[in-house]
Amino acid sequence: MQVIFNRIWGLVKKELLQLSRDKLLLAFVLVAPLLELTLMGGLTGGGVQNLPLAVVDLDRSRASRELITRLDQTDELLIKTYEDSVAQAQEQMQSGQIGVIVVAPPGYGEALTDPQQPAEVQVIADGSNHVVSSAAIGTVENVAAEIVQNLTARYGVASGGPVEMRFAARFNATLDGQPGAITMMLGLIVYQVTLIIAAQSFTRERELGTMEQLRVTPLGRLELIAGKAIPTLLVGLVDCLLMTGVAVAWFDIPVRGSLLLLMLLTVPFILTQIGWGTLISLVSRTQQQAMLFVFALAMLEIACSGFLVPASSLPETMRLLSHISSVQHYMVILRGVMLRGAGIGVLWQSALALSGIALGVATLAWLRLWLGLDTDSLKQRIQIWRHIYRRNRRRRRQVGSGTRRRPRLGAQKPRPAYVDVRVEER
Amino acid sequence: MSILRFTSVLVKEYRHILREPRTLWMVFLSPAFVLIALSMIFTSGNGRINLALWDEDRTPLSRQFAATLSGDDDFSVSYASDYKEIETLLVKRDIDAALIIPPGFADTIQNDDTAPVQVILDGVDTLVAGQATGSLLGHAADFGVTLSRQLSLSTLPLKVHSQSAYLPDAAERESMIPGLIPIVFSLPVMAAALALARERETGSLESLIATPVRGLEYLGGKLIAYVTAALVGLLPVWLTTTLLFHVPFRGNLLLLLLLATDFLLASVGMALFIGNLVRSQQTATVVALFIFFVPGFFLTGMIDPIDTTDLLGAAFSYALPSTHFVSICRAIFLKGATLSEMYRPALALLILSIIWMGLGTLTFKKRMR
Repeated sequence: MQVIFNRIWGLVKKELLQLSRDKLLLAFVLVAPLLELTLMGGLTGGGVQNLPLAVVDLDRSRASRELITRLDQTDELLIKTYEDSVAQAQEQMQSGQIGVIVVAPPGYGEALTDPQQPAEVQVIADGSNHVVSSAAIGTVENVAAEIVQNLTARYGVASGGPVEMRFAARFNATLDGQPGAITMMLGLIVYQVTLIIAAQSFTRERELGTMEQLRVTPLGRLELIAGKAIPTLLVGLVDCLLMTGVAVAWFDIPVRGSLLLLMLLTVPFILTQIGWGTLISLVSRTQQQAMLFVFALAMLEIACSGFLVPASSLPETMRLLSHISSVQHYMVILRGVMLRGAGIGVLWQSALALSGIALGVATLAWLRLWLGLDTDSLKQRIQIWRHIYRRNRRRRRQVGSGTRRRPRLGAQKPRPAYVDVRVEER
Repeated sequence: MSILRFTSVLVKEYRHILREPRTLWMVFLSPAFVLIALSMIFTSGNGRINLALWDEDRTPLSRQFAATLSGDDDFSVSYASDYKEIETLLVKRDIDAALIIPPGFADTIQNDDTAPVQVILDGVDTLVAGQATGSLLGHAADFGVTLSRQLSLSTLPLKVHSQSAYLPDAAERESMIPGLIPIVFSLPVMAAALALARERETGSLESLIATPVRGLEYLGGKLIAYVTAALVGLLPVWLTTTLLFHVPFRGNLLLLLLLATDFLLASVGMALFIGNLVRSQQTATVVALFIFFVPGFFLTGMIDPIDTTDLLGAAFSYALPSTHFVSICRAIFLKGATLSEMYRPALALLILSIIWMGLGTLTFKKRMR
């Protein structure tokens, strides 16, 4: 046992030494995650904000000016230009300078105060981005509702309808997008760092020719894997811890649950990435290929993770896929522990799923490793199996042609001729 | 600059790409494959919102209101009976929102007053929270209309006619796909960064130093090889978007090719710059992913539009070639924009390509370290 530990420790030391020697890599593995989180966390998560708006005020009344002021006061919209005609505004939309047009038609102000006929406002949103157009239309509708409420209050009519919804958001009272976006980024950055380091571990050795040296050392295959995995795991955990620190200290994002639980569940998440990475590094011949595999896999995981589209809105096939996506389960855990204050009693399903995925991927990687460390091991193995199968079939045919009974493989070898010599005694 | 030497580098790079089926697949077809995977997630409909209902009023009127919610396809309704239960359900993510009808709901309405209804949202996923808010507000309004025909205002005093230009409202998938095209081209671009780092790592750059090939010819060969390879990959991407996902293509294909070349020159120039700075391919990958992967989603205006009032953020966004190509792709596919209408992003790409290619050339040293 002691010997095995020593051997693994030797490899771990070598990997860490290699990492510390490349200063740029070290910086990008340890410092860049923090920088990126700080920078991007500050920039994103606000949703649609200050969308350039073009106003076409054909009415030029007090009421229309009030509408425009109210539109400008929203967080989502920001008046960019005033145009005289819809066509001019549409030209600007065509060139992408504005995202939404609001038109106050002539007679708007009069119609608003006239109880007999309704006033109208026209909104044209840039449909080439669904997120933008739906947010813009929603904002204008909210503004219109406000105006109606003020009006009805002025006329002494009970405001709005008979039912009023009072919204309260738990875990994130202001419905700020930042906590969600930052936890997502945190998960993705841990994901990318660990996956790349793992994915290039063997490919790098192979490409540089040091793989052959590793293979003549007494390290067994599993020891080799363990030695490669431990540094990656360490880096991943350190990154995760540091970034959680930044999220708490810089962005005031709470960790309502137990940090220990979070770190504990980060382990199977990172192990899954190490498993995927090992698999990738065993099947790619160059690091370029490994990187491309990593990127394609990462895109698939992102697609399923509920980041772009809530997991409940995914179509059926993608939802099935999302069950085996480690990122999706990790996001549930990460947000659960940090924002919702969930404990293991709540998260056990995701934890179990994550461990299951880690185990499954590790098994796959182990199976692949069992075939051999070369890129073409699988191909060679298949060729060998095919060869054995064909040889056996050939033999079966030769033997089976005379007898009806199917002979057991190997048992019915054609007898050498010298056994068959019969001596007749006279 | 000698054409012969340039071509020989080009041919060598092509051989690197072509000789290995895996690399070939990755450079030419993976953008289309990744695009399909990403596009699959956008559907026209929203998912169901899991709603817990707690009716404290228990009157026919409150039940009628609850029935309108459970009858709707937007919600899958479950029932709860106290705050603690709701809290537990929220923590367990079993529900996205809870609706509480307080006692006296029916009485208040019958007195022609406005009855408050409490909604508790899960604020973590703001996308779902927004969806739930919109849906519930709509229900409250509908309920008002069905209930009170006798309400003093016969018609609403203000109507909003909304219209989304270029595409009807429901076409979420069609509107999102053109914006995804730039990020899938990160694949061939990153391959270029690694191609440069590999020469240094495996030591074949040292053999190149001994040849008469000059730095500019060498870099030019790499650049052109990967740009053209990616342009070939644009064809399957274009076919996927138009034929598989039926995204309208209203612009000019030649214009798209021209601007895509511009975009790829800028991106590959950036990749070569990265490739010059690093010593190993592993570092190149980590650096390239940090620049192309997470910012590619968050900073390019692919989902949320860029907030131009935030100067720092806008500066970072506009330094990425993808940002401009996102708006170009949307404009060409969906708006049928011409070059004169897109001169801003096109010009920005041109400037970026000069800057990044220039930086790539300046930092390259044909020397041993």
